[in-house]
Amino acid sequence: MAQEKAEFLKGTLDMLILKVVAPGPIHGYAISQRIQQISRDFFQVPQGSLYPALHRLEERGWVEADWKNTATGREAKFYKLTRAGRKQLETELVNWERLTDAVALILRTAG
Amino acid sequence: MRWLRRLWNKSQTEKRLDSELQFHLEQQIAGYVASGLPPEEARRRAHLEFGGVERFKEECREARWENHLEILARDFRIAFRGLIRDRHFALIAIFALALGIGASTAIFSVVENALLEPFPYKDSRHMVTIRLHDQDRADHWRGAFLFPEIQDMSKQNHVFDGIVANLEDDIVYSAGDGNLSLACNYVTRGTFEFFGVPPFLGRSLEAADYQPGAVPVFVMRHATWVAKFNSDPALIARTFILNGVPRTLVGIEAPRFAWGGADLWIPRGPEEPRVLREGDYPQHWGVVAHLRRGVSVAEATADLTVIAQRLSAVYPKEYPKHFAMEVLPFGYAVLPPQFRRSLYIFLAAVGLLLLIGCSNVANLLLVRATAREREFAVRAALGASRFRLVRQLLAESFLLAICGAVLGIFLASAGVKILAAVIPQFTIASETVIEMNGTVLLFALLVGVGTVFLFGLFPALQASRCNLNDSLRDTGKGVSGTTGRTALRHAVIVMEVALSLTLLFTAGLFMRSFVALQDVPLGFRADHILTARIPLPTERYKTAAQLISFYRPLLARLKSVPGVASAAETSALPPYGGARSEVEVAGKPHSEGWDTLFQLCSENYFSVLRIQFVDGRPFNEDEVNDARKVAVINQTFRHRYFGNENPIGRRIHLPELKQFPDPVNEPWFEIIGVVADARNRGLQEPLWPEAWIPYSVTGSYMRGILVRTTSEPKSLINAVGREIWTTDPGVAMAQPETLEFFLDLFTFAQPRFGLWLVTIFASIGLVLVTIGVYGVIAYSTSRRTHEIGIRMALGAARTDVLKMVIRKGLQLLLAGIVMGLAVSLLLSRVIVSQLWGVSPYDRLIYAAVAGLLLLVGLIACWIPARRATHVNPVTALRYE
Repeated sequence: MAQEKAEFLKGTLDMLILKVVAPGPIHGYAISQRIQQISRDFFQVPQGSLYPALHRLEERGWVEADWKNTATGREAKFYKLTRAGRKQLETELVNWERLTDAVALILRTAG
Repeated sequence: MRWLRRLWNKSQTEKRLDSELQFHLEQQIAGYVASGLPPEEARRRAHLEFGGVERFKEECREARWENHLEILARDFRIAFRGLIRDRHFALIAIFALALGIGASTAIFSVVENALLEPFPYKDSRHMVTIRLHDQDRADHWRGAFLFPEIQDMSKQNHVFDGIVANLEDDIVYSAGDGNLSLACNYVTRGTFEFFGVPPFLGRSLEAADYQPGAVPVFVMRHATWVAKFNSDPALIARTFILNGVPRTLVGIEAPRFAWGGADLWIPRGPEEPRVLREGDYPQHWGVVAHLRRGVSVAEATADLTVIAQRLSAVYPKEYPKHFAMEVLPFGYAVLPPQFRRSLYIFLAAVGLLLLIGCSNVANLLLVRATAREREFAVRAALGASRFRLVRQLLAESFLLAICGAVLGIFLASAGVKILAAVIPQFTIASETVIEMNGTVLLFALLVGVGTVFLFGLFPALQASRCNLNDSLRDTGKGVSGTTGRTALRHAVIVMEVALSLTLLFTAGLFMRSFVALQDVPLGFRADHILTARIPLPTERYKTAAQLISFYRPLLARLKSVPGVASAAETSALPPYGGARSEVEVAGKPHSEGWDTLFQLCSENYFSVLRIQFVDGRPFNEDEVNDARKVAVINQTFRHRYFGNENPIGRRIHLPELKQFPDPVNEPWFEIIGVVADARNRGLQEPLWPEAWIPYSVTGSYMRGILVRTTSEPKSLINAVGREIWTTDPGVAMAQPETLEFFLDLFTFAQPRFGLWLVTIFASIGLVLVTIGVYGVIAYSTSRRTHEIGIRMALGAARTDVLKMVIRKGLQLLLAGIVMGLAVSLLLSRVIVSQLWGVSPYDRLIYAAVAGLLLLVGLIACWIPARRATHVNPVTALRYE
């Protein structure tokens, strides 16, 4: 099961991160926490996937980062969506919906 | 600009990455503590979860662009470190590469500049000169034509789009305080337009300058302006007295313009009265023509032959019975064919050198590749991609190639400078400038660098293809390398040795030829002799009496100059005889043509040159001053035409003298002496019969002086010049020099230059082969350290190990030597045909070069072999 989840996550992680980052500046740990919470512990994003993904998205210009103080006064790297990132997120959501619709249709009607 | 900041501030980026991850870790721990775990346990779980930090830090880095630069830099760093570790290898490879590139570029540049593009003139490749060959006499040519002949050729031909002519002459420039003899060319209308080289200063000659009645003008050669007139720009528009006529200098020609080798060019219209030089000799002009587009040399020859047939009817005296017209490339007269051929030998030698250099580099890289087979197998097994391996090897090759190329360019430019400085005068056209040829350099660089990359990548291809298990299992301690590759390496060494032997053999032949040349007995003494031509103004010196009125007082004056032992008049410069004539001997009828050389000289000629008398006596003063018809002959003359008879008192007839502008009536001469043979056709050609007669019998022919001195001859130039000036203020000597200088220039300079070049080649070849053999033996021996250790531990003596290593090298050397000898034997005929006085089967040369190569090769093997014997068995067994 864990293996399957990891495989599933691989394809969708970028989209999930973009979605979680969308509301406003958020740091890496919070991103992993939120994904875990919202998915009700279905996804646990390992750091080994999260940070390379974040750096990749930053390099592509979909997110940008700033060093800010957290509520506890500790300095952390906060990510937020860029305009290009927002566009990317929209395309990916549209694609995702089409994909799930198609899959659902097949599952409902076939066999 | 963040990306830029990131690049400069790499450590900052790293720190940020660290603290980002640190923050995450702390939050995680805090999360676990908040959920009720004890702090220790929380820390442990968080760390466990975090896992291999380094690995995903690397992944983060890889997501960033500057990473690629960094990998590149790392590749170079590793490559650099690798080369430093193997610095013997690196230095040898770089050196071999640089030598190959440098030497081949330098020589090729010389060949290109001297042979392929020697002239600065407009489209000089399509310029030709014309000559006429007497088909009944093998070495009789006429390369100059009467002015009306040239005018007819110019009008009637269908093959040229331009034809110009020049007439050489000596001119006396009368400065206030003395005279200067300058070489002048009279040139025809359109000459400067024909050559198309803009002047350096002022203007060239123009159409108006050739009109009858135009203001007399002339232009000067750049080199003359620099050497004799101090590069004075104020010279332009100044009037010079040349041969008594005032002329205005209107321009200095471009530095490379040297048409006809003249100091000055003077316009000559066809209408002007003839300038008389050699009595009433009809003046013959040199001709250069430019081939019309698409016209071949054969077509031009055919067209000219038709014209010449017509001309031969008009000027029957100028044309022999059977003749052929020849159209030759412009540079033909300037570049002696002998030198042309030897340059091609050098070109071939240079190709061999580049080949040896490159195969050396290839071999070293192969050896190294074998040694690193295991390293690359390990790296491939650890997951290095083929691309990554290739990239690193590329970096290594790149470093090697760059170093080799830079050093090679440096060697090439130094080599070109040295060669340009040592090329003997007159062996290349005076227009030629020797400089480095960019195209050639590029070619050599491409070949060299290509070799490095091709063979440098070998290990990567090998590593990705071969079975990792095999390579890993081969601990590299045994006999190194796979058989196929060892064979290739050995084949390269054998080939190198063979090529080098061929080069050495060629050098040996050149050396033998040069030594043979130096061993030729001259028959006269060339030391302590000053010589000069004395062009006399023809208006005042036409008859024998006029000539005597100059030379008799001059020779008397010269004798009283301090430092002068004796002085003589001469009509030729040894080791060359004078004019050529048919000869009759009284009472000796013969059917075939008899020829002899003859010279017009004064009584001291033989004593000045120390030519020995075998019979009879030299002329005495009275005989010369009274122009008596007496003659001295050489031994060759006596043997050929008198056999065993006594020639003294016999009479000979020299009909050529009747043809002189100042003719000799009844030119029958009584033989009064016989001298030992002295070289009269240069050192390499067989001697000719030669006769000497008093200079006073005719006023024609160019004369000069030979002065035997008691001190350094050149120190007397001014004193001799003064005596000439005192004798006749309107006369100056041309080209005063020592006889030894001319002898060296015309006889030894070219062969010496050839020997010098080919010796350099052979030495570089030998050095390359030595380091090639050394490199391969040293490397393979070091790979066998383990094996040698075992052998020694099992009781092998040092000499056994020495023998084992040397035996291998000896096999390769002998194979190469045998191959090289075979190649040399095949080539020797071709090479010998370019050289003088050597046989293609000179056993001494074969033995010497084989011995030299064997000796040097064995030393190259012996050094690593000796090192191997000093290995401590214990260390060797542990050696990895």
